[in-house]
Amino acid sequence: MLVAYLLISLIVIFGHLEDFFGAALLSRPLVLGPLVGLVLGDITQGVIIGATLELIFMGNIKIGAAIPPDVITGGVLGTAFAIISGKGPAIALAIAVPVSIMAEMVISGLFVLRPMLNSRFNRFAEMAEFKKIEKLHVASGLLKPLLMGLLAFLALQLGAGVIKSFLDTIPPWVQSGLQVAGNMLPAVGFALLMNLMFNQKVAAYFFLGFILASYLKLPMIAIGGLGLIVALIITGITHKDPSPDEMNFDDIPSEPEAETKPIISKNDLRKVFLRSLALEANFNFETWQNTGFAFSILPVLKRLYTTKESMSKALKRHLQFFNTSPHGSTLILGITAAMEEQNLQKEGFDEESINSVKLGLMGPLAGVFDSLFWGTLKVIAAGVGISLAINGNILGPILFVLIFNIPHLLIRYNLTFIGYKAGNRFLQNLAKSNIMDKLTTGASILGLMVIGAMPAMLMPITTPIIIGTSESQVAVQTILDQLVPNMIPLALTFLVYFFVKKNIKTTWLLLGILALGFTGSIVHVFA
Amino acid sequence: MIKLTRIDDRLVHGQVSFTWVPSLGINCLIVANDKTACDDFQKMALTLARPPSAKLLILTIEESIAFLNDDKSKNAKILLIVNSINDAFTLSEKVTEIQSINFGGIRAREGTRLISRAIAVSDADISLIKQMADKGIELEIRQVPNDKKQLIQNLL
Repeated sequence: MLVAYLLISLIVIFGHLEDFFGAALLSRPLVLGPLVGLVLGDITQGVIIGATLELIFMGNIKIGAAIPPDVITGGVLGTAFAIISGKGPAIALAIAVPVSIMAEMVISGLFVLRPMLNSRFNRFAEMAEFKKIEKLHVASGLLKPLLMGLLAFLALQLGAGVIKSFLDTIPPWVQSGLQVAGNMLPAVGFALLMNLMFNQKVAAYFFLGFILASYLKLPMIAIGGLGLIVALIITGITHKDPSPDEMNFDDIPSEPEAETKPIISKNDLRKVFLRSLALEANFNFETWQNTGFAFSILPVLKRLYTTKESMSKALKRHLQFFNTSPHGSTLILGITAAMEEQNLQKEGFDEESINSVKLGLMGPLAGVFDSLFWGTLKVIAAGVGISLAINGNILGPILFVLIFNIPHLLIRYNLTFIGYKAGNRFLQNLAKSNIMDKLTTGASILGLMVIGAMPAMLMPITTPIIIGTSESQVAVQTILDQLVPNMIPLALTFLVYFFVKKNIKTTWLLLGILALGFTGSIVHVFA
Repeated sequence: MIKLTRIDDRLVHGQVSFTWVPSLGINCLIVANDKTACDDFQKMALTLARPPSAKLLILTIEESIAFLNDDKSKNAKILLIVNSINDAFTLSEKVTEIQSINFGGIRAREGTRLISRAIAVSDADISLIKQMADKGIELEIRQVPNDKKQLIQNLL
């Protein structure tokens, strides 16, 4: 078992290396579950458990400093114990929820401690030792994966025996209770996602998605496709795709004053893009992504500043507080590159303006890109991925990663160049046109349709209640099915949504639903 | 009606348009900041970040006071955002409707110390906080709506 435990700990490490891989969803349960399955010789179970956990933790996303439960450690350990004990997804969930909450505390502690490194970073900047800054950024970034890997290994090595024998003593009624609770828990994720997008203007599309799935039994890919078409028609952008990577910037006239020769090469900008994937490696609660920004912009600084003095100044400039959406960070990095170049070439360029543009853009752009990537793209990827994976189809996790990352990486890559070349003009054009409005409306239509389909497709909750005398028995479920199929999942989703609106903390929602499902199963109201 | 007065030095960003606006049903977002109100670049950036369900007004502190004290603003569900404790203090002096202030994010600067994950205050800030607390204004720290309210007085 030692080898398996080591490999599973490596999976935890791989998951936490997401800080170097640009928040590309590689750390989600849907991806890590199958890997755990592979190690333990049961990929199908890994895929199914991964899908179940993904559903439950779907609304769990990192916005700003609000750190969600650590699904990496929790998910991997949950999946591992579930497969080892052969007890299925319900057990995975019973382990994943508490472990992920405990692991989150460890990580928060790390984010509180990391600012202690800041004085060291500043000293390196003072001496223009950019290589040491790079090394420290990477080293601090490796700390989290290694620490969590070690903890996971200890948990497996010390706890596996105890947990396994404990799991063996679980009576069947507890297990079926957990099963029902597990099927019910996704309502929390759905409700959290609804909360991001649901408003009167687009509410109808949620129900459209529900009807397509519940009555017409369309698969998720079809609903996603229909959603895209509906979004395009409603927003009236059928002629031109508004996603930034497809917009044509060649026809934007170059700035008249840009007569100076560009120093920064295409290759430098490519390096900036690649390094931006490690933006969050040293995330901390004092200066947030500051060292990540310095790390990412360094190829440009190295090209521009050859004296110790100028390099030191630039490093200090970019070690100031920074925080934005990682997916769209390259736009600001590109704009910064252009401004640094001007700073070198133009006498009397106001250096302070570089930081004021950076700081001015990071908040607003975080809002734009968070809603696009977390609110829409991730939801669609998860919807398609989970609906396949829940039946054990390995295509699920693969499509999940591809649907998110093909647009993600295309946009992220191109934004570096758009930022550098068109910079502020690009933003001004966006602000002047109503394209942002169309994009967000279209995105929420598409997102809501997919979310609407989810309760019908992914929450197999029914009621075993039977009414009537012994001669003429009627199953309540049959009546409900004749009225509205999947009525119970839909009602549960709205019940949780109601509590989300009341600002109840996610942990309590999870526990509440867990309790409802569990007792519901014991008293034979839900199955 | 002011549903929330928030201090956040990133002004409008993910936490705001993603969690606060939907959770409070906000239809009017007011950024009260003298510098931003005169800075076309900043205004443009904020326009991009505006959540589709809310109107965005970028006003100077003085304009904000006039607007918030006008009866016309009573029908809107307003989220008021400032980027400093100082501005929040000024507004709370002139707008009696502000009885609660949410501390969302104030980054560390020279001469400040962190009193919570995302809140750094200076000595001058602390004296303003005490004055507001004495007037009975609720001063609470929450980054997102379902964080637990932490009263700032307890952390000083």
